[in-house]
Amino acid sequence: MGIMTQFMQWIDDRFPATKVWNEHLAQYYAPKNFNFWYFFGSLALLVLVNQILTGIWLTMNYTPTGEGAYASVEYIMRDVEWGWLLRYMHGVGASAFFVVVYLHMFRALLYGSFRKPRELVWIFGMIIFVLLMAEGFMGYLLPWGNMSYWGAQVIINLFSAVPVVGEDLAVWIRGDFIISGATLNRFFALHVVALPMAILLMVFLHIVALHKVGSNNPDGIDIKKLKDENGIPLDGIPFHPYYTVKDIVGVGVFLLIFCGIIFFSPEMGGYFFEPPNFTPADPLKTPEHIAPVWYFTPYYSILKAVPNQGLGVIAMAASLVVLFFLPWLDRSPVLSIRYKSPIFKVALALFVVCFFILGYLGMLAPNDMRTLVAQICTIYYFAFFLLMPWWSQWGTTKPVPERVTH
Amino acid sequence: MKSLLKLSLISMLAFSTTVLAAGGGAYLPNDKLPTYSGHKLTTSMQNGMQVYMNNCMGCHALGFQRYNRAAKDLEIPENLMVENLMFTGEKIGDLMVNNMPAASAEKWFGTAPPDLSLIARARKPQWLYNYLRAFYQDQSRPYGVNNSVFKDVGMPHALESMQGIQDKTEKVKGLENDIDYANGDIVTARDKLSNGGNASELNKMIADAETLIHDKQEEINALAAEGKYFTLVKEGSMTPQEFDSAMIDLVNFLEYVGEPIKRERKSLGIYVMMFILFFIFVAYLLKKEYWKDIH
Repeated sequence: MGIMTQFMQWIDDRFPATKVWNEHLAQYYAPKNFNFWYFFGSLALLVLVNQILTGIWLTMNYTPTGEGAYASVEYIMRDVEWGWLLRYMHGVGASAFFVVVYLHMFRALLYGSFRKPRELVWIFGMIIFVLLMAEGFMGYLLPWGNMSYWGAQVIINLFSAVPVVGEDLAVWIRGDFIISGATLNRFFALHVVALPMAILLMVFLHIVALHKVGSNNPDGIDIKKLKDENGIPLDGIPFHPYYTVKDIVGVGVFLLIFCGIIFFSPEMGGYFFEPPNFTPADPLKTPEHIAPVWYFTPYYSILKAVPNQGLGVIAMAASLVVLFFLPWLDRSPVLSIRYKSPIFKVALALFVVCFFILGYLGMLAPNDMRTLVAQICTIYYFAFFLLMPWWSQWGTTKPVPERVTH
Repeated sequence: MKSLLKLSLISMLAFSTTVLAAGGGAYLPNDKLPTYSGHKLTTSMQNGMQVYMNNCMGCHALGFQRYNRAAKDLEIPENLMVENLMFTGEKIGDLMVNNMPAASAEKWFGTAPPDLSLIARARKPQWLYNYLRAFYQDQSRPYGVNNSVFKDVGMPHALESMQGIQDKTEKVKGLENDIDYANGDIVTARDKLSNGGNASELNKMIADAETLIHDKQEEINALAAEGKYFTLVKEGSMTPQEFDSAMIDLVNFLEYVGEPIKRERKSLGIYVMMFILFFIFVAYLLKKEYWKDIH
């Protein structure tokens, strides 16, 4: 017995290292027909690691006080060795996180990955998404620019629309009557300690739940139905090495785009870093137009589309809550868009269009026409989900093959 | 499936271009800022720093910028910097702050002159270029000047000795007058409308006035594009061409101060891209090798 084997034996007698390795990588059988859309899970993990690592190093030079925050960010940009790179990796990483997570969620819509038996995988994922929104929102306050300040002001003021306790609730969240150093301090604590821990825990559960039920695939077929004499799915291949080497190619392409933005256009024309945020927070000077960062704008649009602020807040919350119920809303006999009726394809395409329009309108100052369009898109957004139990059964589906198409 | 992907890509593209178009605010004049690179850019930034230190630094600090960082990045020898660009005994490693008392400054100008370290990122360089060239005489303002890019700005025309004084051309004044009258007509018509006047007649009046405003504005835009928005009424120490060129230098310097790492970031980025392309190539070969036996 070689020294390495002996060493591993010693470990395995005390800790299930080989067992975990096999269960989750070397003998975790994934369908062999994963396509483009299946890169975004591993990419989300990559961005998560990027955010945590760059975040730790940013924390080393960041000052979480109303007096020092803005200057400390510029200190990082100028006087800290490679500080500018850390900050851009973190700031662009935040947007990248939402890009990959949105695409990851869209994949689930395409192939019905949230359907039985993957309900918990979806719900854990949705919890991650909501936590991520909180993480992004609180992180956006930290540079203490004027858009940070007023964005937080507008969003936290929404809580004052809650009946009876609204005002007290808003004060309780801010820790002050306006956004102040107290708010910045608590957002810092939540952003760097509490929320990342919660996100890591949920990511762990998301993966454990996924590996219990197995991965879905673009055909929406259960590969565990057909197994060989060793009990290995006929259409399954070990995640490692096959998908690890494939995902590395995905990582390369992702990094090409990610680094392209970081090195050549980190502000992304004002979408990733907004110009008003290059002036310090000023409670007396409202920016000309306050809009949240792009990844929040679809929901912000839904909020603004409702004429009553209190109801608008409820609508915005409902637009996220409804997603949790998706596994029970889709009643189509097949999982994948490949075999669903044309009705589904049209409905989903319209949903994508509405989501983009809502996102676009959320960045602009409202006028009558824009509000009307946002209202139509909001109605469609809710109709898409709430009427799904009916419309998902309409039309004829195509026959689903026995084996995956590869 | 493919078509769905295409559709979402197209909508994403359409989405990004419209938003970008919407981002550019309207102001006049709106001349394009020429882009410099290489040695020409370095010299321009050096000259811009000189203009800044001589004319702007008294009021506007660059509180996040260090003298020696500027010396290194703009290729100015430190001894030359100390002798020619630092006037009040600072050390070369100091931040570029000034002694403007904020409270008094607020009294003098209505608002304290802001620190300009990040002004080129908060406003766009092109905006700055036009703003610096858009002061014109206006006796209704405390310092006798207004600014067509930043209306009613508190800042006096600090570069008057260089540029001289300009005024809007007679043509522009006439057209702007017409627009003011038309706007007045609209207000009157709306007023009458809400008091139960003849709806069809009044609506036509409003529509006509709106068309007129649109046409006149187009004329003004055309004049501005030809460089006929302003005319010089008092000459300065520089010709208009020299002044424009000095302002390009000043804006290039401010753009540098906004993000000192910018040039290095871009040149480094090319190597990063090359490495990642090589990485993708190797990773792809590895993937192909492993996946040979999967059918």
